[in-house]
Amino acid sequence: MALVLVWAAELAVFALVVAGILAERPLPLAATGLAIVAAAVGLRLRPGLRRALVAAFVAHRRAALAGGALLALALPLALRASPYWTFVAALALLYVTIGQGLNLQIGTAGVLNLAGAAFAGLGGYSVGLLTVTAGWPAWLAVLAAPWVAVIVGTLLFVPILKTRGHYLALVTIAFVFIFNILMNNFEFTGGPQGIKNIPTLRLFGWPFTAKPSLLGVELPAHANFYYAALVMASLTTLVLRRLHDSWLGLTLNTLRDDEIAARCCGVSITRGKLLAFCIGNFFIGLGGALYAVMVGFVSPPDFDFGYSLVMLSVIIIGGVDSIPGVVLGACLLLPLPERFRFLHEYRLLLYGLVIVVMLLYRPQGLWPAAIRRYR
Amino acid sequence: MSLLEVKGLTVSFGGLVALDAVDVGVDAGETLGVIGPNGSGKTTLFNALTGLYAAAAGEIRFAGRELAGLEAHAIARLGIARTFQSSRLCLALSAFDNILIGMQAGRRTGLLDSVFRRGKLLAEMGEALERASHLLALFNRDLPARGFERVGQLPQIDRRRVEICRALASRPKLLLLDEPSAGMNPEETAELMRDLQIVREEMPGLSVIVIEHDMFVIEGVSRRVVAFNYGRKIAEGPFAAVAAHPEVREAYLGRETARA
Repeated sequence: MALVLVWAAELAVFALVVAGILAERPLPLAATGLAIVAAAVGLRLRPGLRRALVAAFVAHRRAALAGGALLALALPLALRASPYWTFVAALALLYVTIGQGLNLQIGTAGVLNLAGAAFAGLGGYSVGLLTVTAGWPAWLAVLAAPWVAVIVGTLLFVPILKTRGHYLALVTIAFVFIFNILMNNFEFTGGPQGIKNIPTLRLFGWPFTAKPSLLGVELPAHANFYYAALVMASLTTLVLRRLHDSWLGLTLNTLRDDEIAARCCGVSITRGKLLAFCIGNFFIGLGGALYAVMVGFVSPPDFDFGYSLVMLSVIIIGGVDSIPGVVLGACLLLPLPERFRFLHEYRLLLYGLVIVVMLLYRPQGLWPAAIRRYR
Repeated sequence: MSLLEVKGLTVSFGGLVALDAVDVGVDAGETLGVIGPNGSGKTTLFNALTGLYAAAAGEIRFAGRELAGLEAHAIARLGIARTFQSSRLCLALSAFDNILIGMQAGRRTGLLDSVFRRGKLLAEMGEALERASHLLALFNRDLPARGFERVGQLPQIDRRRVEICRALASRPKLLLLDEPSAGMNPEETAELMRDLQIVREEMPGLSVIVIEHDMFVIEGVSRRVVAFNYGRKIAEGPFAAVAAHPEVREAYLGRETARA
């Protein structure tokens, strides 16, 4: 019974998301919006139903995950008519990967890194240079690029360790701008034009520009990247969840909340922050690397400070230090402005507004961090 | 045998000498009381012992090792644990997490185990949680059941207990208690003295230094007492002798003036 409830709820969410994305004419769009509002109000007014749902999801965690995975796999089928939306879905998944890395730094360790765009850019530019200039195959470049983000991040670590709070944020903001100015002016990175014609991924001879087919249905070429991003986001989320529910997560939370208490418990602040910074930058760089092969070119505006704010918004809206929160935040925040194209010009304004409202009324985020239970 | 030997310890901030050539020693299994008015250097002594402040002069030998120049986390790993005058728990974390952090220095699993050998990590975490429950139950049998609640939701006295458990979790050789009864009413203070008695009975080999303003607590838990004033040690000995020492009486009560 509870199992049916879990799958029914997942299916309902899936149907609403797909309908919300694909509804073009005003009437279906309004109907979908109404259905979403009705569902939200219904859950709010019926605490019994809400509790039953939560209990069902807790009791059938594995089944819920399996159902969610199946629906995530099926999403390109539902979106097959629109290559554009398949691309947006893949982009949201890239932000899951990036958000998990950044959340380890900002949420878990309290290292307010606002240079997310620069570290993603280091991943993206590395792929560009390794493939176009050095002639590496794309998959090898994608695997190597995150390490560039890690290494450059380590060089930045001395000022990171010596500053806290606002000052730390300023240091990292400065780094984004330095990165952008350098990319704009270096000859070998193509200056303002960036690096074009990055070769696409090729796995076991399968080029990612070819249209795949699933269950006999032909999908847009971007579905290749959707699935690659899905695998990457799932693995990243699994790794970060396991790290969070371990000695590392505990140690980082403690040094975030009280450095003096942490030191007196034998925690090395340097080691803790360095680990958080390097592991986080790895996944941010990985997200940037896959972005480069997905889009086929990189240029300075792709990695400017605004994108650092988008990444920060994903974490704040989802829930600081919350692993499922990052997934929710990315899946909400990336597609929503695309849906309302007339808002696109004001996207940063919208993000800013959403952050202020969240911090005022729900600072713990939509899916707050849970207590660690180690099981 | 002497576990801790402090000789000529001096700590100064600019021109202010917070600790002036202090000698203190603690034997294994002994409880030492530290008294003195506000600003007399008691907490400074703890901060110097735990590596939060650097000593300007003097030496600190702990279990045969010189501590000068070691970082706070390295000193903690050698076996000095402490509590703080105003609680330094992580209120957003669970009571268990606050205690487990005391055990992380002794962990046997690494980062790769956390990700790839989950069973090994969870087994170790299970043991750690069990030990945390055991420590909590020493003081309050109902507390382990609340171990997964945020520590901010616990009453003051239980928070103080969680903090003591965190310090004990690292299996220290020396425990530093900085005014454990601060901010407590008489009933809570009585409970706290019982708690300290339990610590003594459960861990007979543990050395303890306790800073207190409450003379009843000091009298109840420690045989030997040192008194500080203006960063200097002004008296040392059994509680009754120190309490009766003229300089100590003067520090607490002021100079007796000749009656007119």
